[in-house]
Amino acid sequence: MPQFSTVEYVIQRGAQSPLIFLYVVDTCLEEDDLQALKESLQMSLSLLPPDALVGLITFGRMVQVHELSCEGISKSYVFRGTKDLTAKQIQDMLGLTKPAVPVHPARPAQPQEHPSISSRFLQPIHKIDMNLTDLLGELQRDPWPVPQGKRPLRSTGVALSIAVGLLEGTFPNTGARIMLFIGGPPTQGPGMVVGDELKVPIRSWHDIEKDNARFMKKATKHYEMLANRAAANGHCIDIYACALDQTGLLEMKCCTNLTGGHMVMGDSFNTSLFKQTFQRIFSKDFNGNFRMAFGATLEVKTSRELKVAGAIGPCVSLNVKGPCVSENELGVGGTSQWKICGLDPTSTLGIYFEVVNQHNAPIPQGGRGAIQFVTHYQHSSTQRRIRVTTIARNWADAQSQLKHIEAAFDQEAAAVLMARLGVFRAESEEGPDVLRWLDRQLIRLCQKFGQYTKEDPASFRLSDSFSLYPQFMFHLRRSPFLQVFNNSPDESSYYRHHFARQDLTQSLIMIQPILYSYSFHGPPEPVLLDSSSILADRILLMDTFFQIVIYLGETIAQWQKAGYQDMPEYENFKHLLQAPLDDAQEILHARFPMPRYINTEHGGSQARFLLSKVNPSQTHNNLYAWGQETGAPILTDDVSLQVFMDHLKKLAVSSAC
Amino acid sequence: MAGLYVKPGNKERGWNDPPQFSYGLQTQAGGPKRTPLTKRVAAPQDGSPRVPTSETSPGAPPMGPPPLSSKASRPPFVGSCPPSSMEPTNFPVVESEILLEDVLRPLERALEDCRGHTKKQVCDDISRRLALLQEQWAGGKLSMPVKKRMALLVQELSSHQWDAADDIHRSLMVDHVTEVSQWMVGVKRLIAEKRSLSSEEEANEEKSVATAEQNQTMPGIQHDP
Repeated sequence: MPQFSTVEYVIQRGAQSPLIFLYVVDTCLEEDDLQALKESLQMSLSLLPPDALVGLITFGRMVQVHELSCEGISKSYVFRGTKDLTAKQIQDMLGLTKPAVPVHPARPAQPQEHPSISSRFLQPIHKIDMNLTDLLGELQRDPWPVPQGKRPLRSTGVALSIAVGLLEGTFPNTGARIMLFIGGPPTQGPGMVVGDELKVPIRSWHDIEKDNARFMKKATKHYEMLANRAAANGHCIDIYACALDQTGLLEMKCCTNLTGGHMVMGDSFNTSLFKQTFQRIFSKDFNGNFRMAFGATLEVKTSRELKVAGAIGPCVSLNVKGPCVSENELGVGGTSQWKICGLDPTSTLGIYFEVVNQHNAPIPQGGRGAIQFVTHYQHSSTQRRIRVTTIARNWADAQSQLKHIEAAFDQEAAAVLMARLGVFRAESEEGPDVLRWLDRQLIRLCQKFGQYTKEDPASFRLSDSFSLYPQFMFHLRRSPFLQVFNNSPDESSYYRHHFARQDLTQSLIMIQPILYSYSFHGPPEPVLLDSSSILADRILLMDTFFQIVIYLGETIAQWQKAGYQDMPEYENFKHLLQAPLDDAQEILHARFPMPRYINTEHGGSQARFLLSKVNPSQTHNNLYAWGQETGAPILTDDVSLQVFMDHLKKLAVSSAC
Repeated sequence: MAGLYVKPGNKERGWNDPPQFSYGLQTQAGGPKRTPLTKRVAAPQDGSPRVPTSETSPGAPPMGPPPLSSKASRPPFVGSCPPSSMEPTNFPVVESEILLEDVLRPLERALEDCRGHTKKQVCDDISRRLALLQEQWAGGKLSMPVKKRMALLVQELSSHQWDAADDIHRSLMVDHVTEVSQWMVGVKRLIAEKRSLSSEEEANEEKSVATAEQNQTMPGIQHDP
């Protein structure tokens, strides 16, 4: 009998609403950045289907909503960037009237019934692609001069507010993407993150810790309000932030995280990282459909013995109570239904359950628990679909059948689920508290499932089912998801955003980067993420998900410098150098977002990307204690995996715990 | 068809900018795949990192050359496909010149065909962009790959292969947006208009064939004059 099954139903009846894309574009960019962004937007018009609706809002000091028409003259509505407006005010000012027919909440708005509302600001590609191409081509930098020592006045908060209000008023309850492109932080109006004086830097983690980030709370509240409104309407918000300094992703992250929109962070719009990542949003599957879905609702149903504690991922709660909703909340709880406005094939939600055993009743022999996931969504072909997955598992008694439970343990999934919980808590709790909580969970796991003699750490063993789990926890503790002080608040928000939604394989790569070694000694092999893996005659390929690092050992680097790869009798050396490049290319070909690509060698300044990730089994502190020197020593005071494991064993076997 | 190449990223704007894949390479359904790199090594339970069997002793004088290439010592690598080139496609030895007329005439003819079927303003807009294409081509502003692919596009358009022509237009917008963005949208619209005109004509043809057949196959029924 199959252990699980997934069935998808296509709903034939009902109007199919088109996909909607609303571009919100910052014009306070440098000339070549703006030019590159304009070209990417023009290119995207060729990638969108002909009946998709598209709209344009540009902003700088003022916010301009462009009326798209096929006639000669282009018109736009201009708003001050300092004053926030309610949805109604925006809709009135844009001349949008409420539809005469009240929109049934279960039925998506039918755009063809209200041509006068949709046609002015959101038009089908096949009608206005030529005009919009010209309009984009003619976009200028924000004309307001920026004095010396100042930042440009950027009204992101109002621009986004108008975008949300526009879609709310014209296409509620229809799949839509607001795509926000920014080249710097919001500096005026609601949602501003920093003032316009350059000498006052944007907040760092240090500032936040010392409660010295004066705009943060208010700005976050502004964007949370917008994010919730967009999510309620099934609209998702993407943020494409390209700048050398921070842009306010910390305050704006709820926009992407609550709606399932994308967050892309780069140095400039004139880079392959942005251009390729942006192109990949429009990639198609084998049937020629976009790999994106909209307006999804997920419902979880359980059998009697289980309750739903919550979900962690790019979703909002639908506040649906019921008998299968647990009182203990983990993640977004208190509900058995969530809404995910933007989905792609790698989107995941982590769902947490609680086992409830009525009055310690014995588990019936052969009893099974069951869970069903029902997802309603709008497919990119505009059809509505329902996907149902049903899972059933045998119950096992924790006292007498521990071995069964152990054998069925999925340590990879467990690591990611624990990590998501940890990162979720880290957003609202103090960092050290989260680490202590994670450690306690790990110790309890070891106490329950380890084989040991009390008070004898050396006797401690874990079965194969847990062989990687403590390592995952060790690397998680050191990861940028929980250690924030090496990154800016924006960077931490960016890393956490991707961590909270990626699939299992990619999430594990983020927790514990993959390391492969290439040498003349045999085929490429995975090696320990440890300083002992860094050797002079090896090439290493490290994948952290956000970066691909190729590192040449000292000898390899010397050979390359001497040019052996160009000599025909050393052709195998040329192949050796090429092998990691080809494997890297394979990863780069598919990954979203495009990672950074670092090609470095022993002694190179960029080698720090590798050195900071590997377990520092050898540091300047213990260098001479090892005896024979193996691998590269790391200059750090971080605890090594060995020390971590030693402590873990001590605590697990101790009867005091 | 569209080139399959990878070129380096923009090192001036992003020091670790990843390489850029051409449209052709991006949309490839994925040919021979190398084994995905997803394996991990469990840390030894007793705590000490394994010492690799062979290593070079540090601090020694500079190493000798790498092992000589021979059948025995060639390292097998993961995956069986040959490494794809990191260089842009090499130019062919013999380059036949692509004439502007060979590209422009068919496009103008296609536009003429559409005049009855498409709004005047749209036709004028397309015409304006074809003029821009001509100006840029004649002024030497377009690169060889662009010219080559335009020639292919025009061929597909003339053979009524709408999807193929559309795909070429997309590949040009993705790979060469700076050169083509001003006029390419006109070509795109032209393909769309020709496609809809052609399907209308087909539909009319089918209708008239059906009525002709009806008149022929039912001689016994009297038609009203």
